Amino acid sequence: MISKKLAIEVLNEMLSTGADYAEIFYEDSHSAGLSIENGKVSSSSYNITSGAGLRLLKENRCVYGYTSDLTKKGLINLAKSLNKSFNGERLLTVKKLEMIRGKNRNVIAKSYDDIPVKDKINLVREGIKEIESFKDPRIVRYLGSFGNSIRNVTIFNSKERWFSRKTEFARLVYSIVLADENGMETAFEGPGCQMDISYFQDKAKPREVARKAVEVGLKMLAAKECPSGKMPVVIGNGWGGVLFHEACGHPLEASAVSRGLSYATGKEGQMIASPVVTAIDDSTIPNAWGSIDIDDEGNPGTKRVLIKDGVLKDFMIDDFNGRRMGRQGNGSCRRQNYKYCPTSRMSNTYIDNGKSTREEIIAATKLGLYAVSFAGGSVNPATGEFNFGVSEAYIIRDGKVCEPVKGATLIGKGEEVLKKIDMVANDLELAQGMCGAASGSIRTNVGQPTLRVSEMTVGGRGGELK
Amino acid sequence: MKYDKFFALAKEAGIEECEFTVATSTSLEITLFHGEIDSYSPNSSSTFMARGIYKGKMGAIVSDVYNKDSAELFVKAIIENASVIENDDPVFIFKGSEKYHKINTFNKELEKISVDQKLNKLYELERKIKELDKRIIEIQMVGFEEASSTLTILNSHGLKLVQKNNHFVYYGGAVAKEGEQVKTGFDMAFGNDFSKFDVDELAKSIVKETVSKLGGYQCESSTYRAVLSQDVVKTFMSAYVGSADAEDVQKNSSLFVGKLGQKVASKKITIEDKPLAKTVFAKSFDDEGVATRNLPIIKNGILQNYLYNLTTAAKDGVQSNGHGSVGGGSKVSTTTWYLEMKAGKKTLDELFAEVGNGVYITEVQGMHAGLNPRSGNFSLQSTGFMIENGKVTHGLDIITVSGNLVDLFNSITEVGSDSKEFASGMKCPSAIVKKIVVSGK
Repeated sequence: MISKKLAIEVLNEMLSTGADYAEIFYEDSHSAGLSIENGKVSSSSYNITSGAGLRLLKENRCVYGYTSDLTKKGLINLAKSLNKSFNGERLLTVKKLEMIRGKNRNVIAKSYDDIPVKDKINLVREGIKEIESFKDPRIVRYLGSFGNSIRNVTIFNSKERWFSRKTEFARLVYSIVLADENGMETAFEGPGCQMDISYFQDKAKPREVARKAVEVGLKMLAAKECPSGKMPVVIGNGWGGVLFHEACGHPLEASAVSRGLSYATGKEGQMIASPVVTAIDDSTIPNAWGSIDIDDEGNPGTKRVLIKDGVLKDFMIDDFNGRRMGRQGNGSCRRQNYKYCPTSRMSNTYIDNGKSTREEIIAATKLGLYAVSFAGGSVNPATGEFNFGVSEAYIIRDGKVCEPVKGATLIGKGEEVLKKIDMVANDLELAQGMCGAASGSIRTNVGQPTLRVSEMTVGGRGGELK
Repeated sequence: MKYDKFFALAKEAGIEECEFTVATSTSLEITLFHGEIDSYSPNSSSTFMARGIYKGKMGAIVSDVYNKDSAELFVKAIIENASVIENDDPVFIFKGSEKYHKINTFNKELEKISVDQKLNKLYELERKIKELDKRIIEIQMVGFEEASSTLTILNSHGLKLVQKNNHFVYYGGAVAKEGEQVKTGFDMAFGNDFSKFDVDELAKSIVKETVSKLGGYQCESSTYRAVLSQDVVKTFMSAYVGSADAEDVQKNSSLFVGKLGQKVASKKITIEDKPLAKTVFAKSFDDEGVATRNLPIIKNGILQNYLYNLTTAAKDGVQSNGHGSVGGGSKVSTTTWYLEMKAGKKTLDELFAEVGNGVYITEVQGMHAGLNPRSGNFSLQSTGFMIENGKVTHGLDIITVSGNLVDLFNSITEVGSDSKEFASGMKCPSAIVKKIVVSGK
């Protein structure tokens, strides 16, 4: 632990050469994981992440360093090597540190530290039994795992503030390898939460999660290759939100916007999407995977309407990148751990409910692809070019969901695809993912209702869609 | 010694054999934006990892800190983790190999060069990228990174292995615009011999990577003959060689099940893992302490070896070939150290001429979602160029390429002479593939 007295000393050393902001991020976190493979516990791990990251800002310059040496000497030495980047007069002196608190929305009734490992094993085993109950020889390998992490973070900054937050996350994952004479397929389900273990007893029950993985896997194993070319695409709710995450979420982060490295730079108030699109980033949803009570700069988590009826309204902004935009941070400053300099990131990001229903959208589609779930994707914010891999998909013929297809990838440009969303349903759901960017891998929810893109490029090996 | 307490406590607690690994590193990363230092980051960190066999099972712990209370905590965690393991995989703390090859991955000269000298090259890089082409409208990033690290493995059999490394990287990404079309390009240079770094060459390459994509349009969706760039070959090679992991083979979940000694690629393909080659990636022992050696994986299309660690080797009744990778848990996986695909004799232009009409794929993206290493199926966002009458004509705007790794490697008809080394520890040439499915217009 870093005492307030030591924090003040380190902050003042950091500020001695003219920085206009200084911050100490101290972390003492741990995580535990276990895996059951082909029915037997095969791995168990315990990991401690502990260290400090020091950040100095001067106008538009950022200096960041980290160390796992938490002694006074270690911290002062790091402060001295960082402050060498500036050679001005001292602007600020920290005299005191006052505690601030965020709202406590992500209450954990019982810490994962207090849950015996036996109970976690039993939880995973529930789903394993479900997989085994299929007695299907096409299931050649199956893995269930449970991981939880407990993050204790304390931040001191030159605004004379300090705050602490303890957060706990857990994730239950089933991954399956299936094979028949034609080849191999994989299936994956991995719900997560910022909540106690009751989440896996009430909401994401292991048997249901595992069953879904097997069922989708078996369907995809038997599926034909997805056709390719341009076609209407109906994107399923929940995981389908990875489309918006890649195509629009990343380009609306201040890290890209403030440097002119996003197609959305300078377009506030302009129509950037179809009028049926309203998109939100909300870090205030209680116990959600991507929620934060207070961000790494001490700004409270907020609900931000990014796009309202197609018009660009707001961005994910951190204080530092906000400097180039003339804006204050809006609670978006996040990082994986002390080894990463923080920046603007998403939290729970989704397209809001529209007026259609899923059934209406499918009925209105004559020939196209129904992409239900996704394995992930990536984007280049400067060009808006994105891709995402489809893990479960079907062909829609004459308004009906028909044969399953596998191996599809959807590509496009964010700007263009947002304008081609022509129907949005009312079945919004969120799904849990890990988002990788400059400040590391962080937990984010993606989400959306079922929606339709009038035309997208689909990559696959199945030839032309007929 | 510093870790004696851990070994003593472990023994006392009934841990039969144990190992302690320490990885320390210091690094410096600097990025520029508009001619000024945008970020400056000096770092130092350590990772302490302990593994031990308790009642025949392996337990482990990983931590960023090791202080006076850590020995007790580590021993407790090893016992707790080992106690829940149920599978009967044989586990090992290694006694040591007979011989370890000497390698040199630490260049003292690099440490003597001042930060200012290194920084000046970075300013130069940013300036040159801008000056080389008017269509460059923004620099997405330019950065310098250097790191120096030491890895030490100690164990209760008295084994002690140490390896020191250092290296630097310069990288840059640019944004080019022509009309309404915006494209980005990126490249990097790395090594541990500073005198070999050529800032002009890197700037030129970044600009070429960026502006060459301008003016492109989508081609018709169809099946094409293709030249794959070194970067694309590297990506597919890495995924395909992953199938040689012995554990996946033993568990019937690899493309290489039952393929040892059989044809898995065209006869043009020879791939070797070369930890002992003179590169910054050289490695004389793996994470379990087993001596490494250069190992052919595929020779003239025939699968030669699987990648083993101590556990999977014991299950197959063979010796580990030094590919153990200890990630953190009680389970050991495998890795490769320096994958090299043997080059051919033809230049890139000769490859274009040989293809005649087709596509030149220079980039694939979205591997984590678009490529399934188990089925071998891939469908990936790509960019590249059209090849017409044996020459590159226009760029290709965003397309996808789809196929299967097994088919792809069996349909490579030629490899180029233009081998390129990548920062991910791989080296390979461009290659011609008989057919690839492109989705465009």
